[in-house]
Amino acid sequence: MPARSHSLNRVGERWLDQVDPLADLLTGDKRSWDSFVRRYAALIVAAVRGVASHTGDIEDLTQEVFVRLCKDDFRLLRSYDSTRASLSTWITIVARSTARDALRRRRPDSVPIDGVPEMYLKVDAVEPLPKLKLPEALLSPRQREILGMLYDLEMDVAEIAAKLGIDPQTVRSAHHKAMLKLRAHFKTDIA
Amino acid sequence: MRAQGTSGAPRRDQELWRRSQDIEASLDETENFLDLAAFAENRLDDDDTARIAALIARDAAMAEDVAAARAPTAVEMVAAEDVIARAAGLVAGGRSEAMLIAFPAPWPARKPWYGAATWSGLAAAIAFAGWLGFDLGSGLSNTPLLSRGGDEPSASELLDPAPLMLRDFTENSQI
Repeated sequence: MPARSHSLNRVGERWLDQVDPLADLLTGDKRSWDSFVRRYAALIVAAVRGVASHTGDIEDLTQEVFVRLCKDDFRLLRSYDSTRASLSTWITIVARSTARDALRRRRPDSVPIDGVPEMYLKVDAVEPLPKLKLPEALLSPRQREILGMLYDLEMDVAEIAAKLGIDPQTVRSAHHKAMLKLRAHFKTDIA
Repeated sequence: MRAQGTSGAPRRDQELWRRSQDIEASLDETENFLDLAAFAENRLDDDDTARIAALIARDAAMAEDVAAARAPTAVEMVAAEDVIARAAGLVAGGRSEAMLIAFPAPWPARKPWYGAATWSGLAAAIAFAGWLGFDLGSGLSNTPLLSRGGDEPSASELLDPAPLMLRDFTENSQI
């Protein structure tokens, strides 16, 4: 079979985002899916290539990305929000993350331990990364700092503003936004 | 504004803040994909930009993903036809190949008198069976069977099988 290939460059990639390819696709339309695959396969291959250590893995990892995109009635694709990012950028992020997860899941090649010279068995101590706390995932460093000063150190707004060298209104605004995020997370109805 | 005030809202906010510090975050992956993509395109506000920048600083893989999403791709990207065919096969024929399965037509709606006639017939059958049983049973006491004596089983034994069942059949046996 002649190797007919589909190619695009970055200019073409921008063109991809000018058309909404998901409208019919999410209804399960087969032709829309084929069109989507044809349109974004090259982009996904390029993204996966950046993660794969062996070129032989690229095809399987690309397939893993497509599987994930259409799994559970396109659950992941449905989460895409065109108002927040372009589809090509989002797909690049998703493809790399999916490929990396797939590579992690694969069992590494193993060799009998007796056949390995002792010098290769030395393992450098690795400090485990501390677990991410909720404020770190939800709030900006500045918001965390202000809430810490306000509620842990029990400083007032004027003191915080003076300490940080910012306007008191900025402190209030940061506090307000941070609390909105925390309340939304805990789904509290505190006014 | 001081945190330890007596008013309710600051107190609740303080509790919320302290509670949040005891909870380990589990990143919502779908939300994180959007955040990273928006960050790569500089579409986040200052707070979220700082938040994602802090997350990326902790996670080298995330940082590489963002860098890859931002990097202009000068080289031509190529997808082989077999890759496309394999991925396209993941979604089977949709609407265009769908078949309509004809279900049998539902039963025609029954007329209102149909139910009344059915129940009336059933009630008449029960009444007739009751009358017939009573009529047959009322003449039973006059039958000659009940006037027999001796060792023959009486009519009461025929009508009530329990004594027969409990009789000791070994009483006349000789070993």
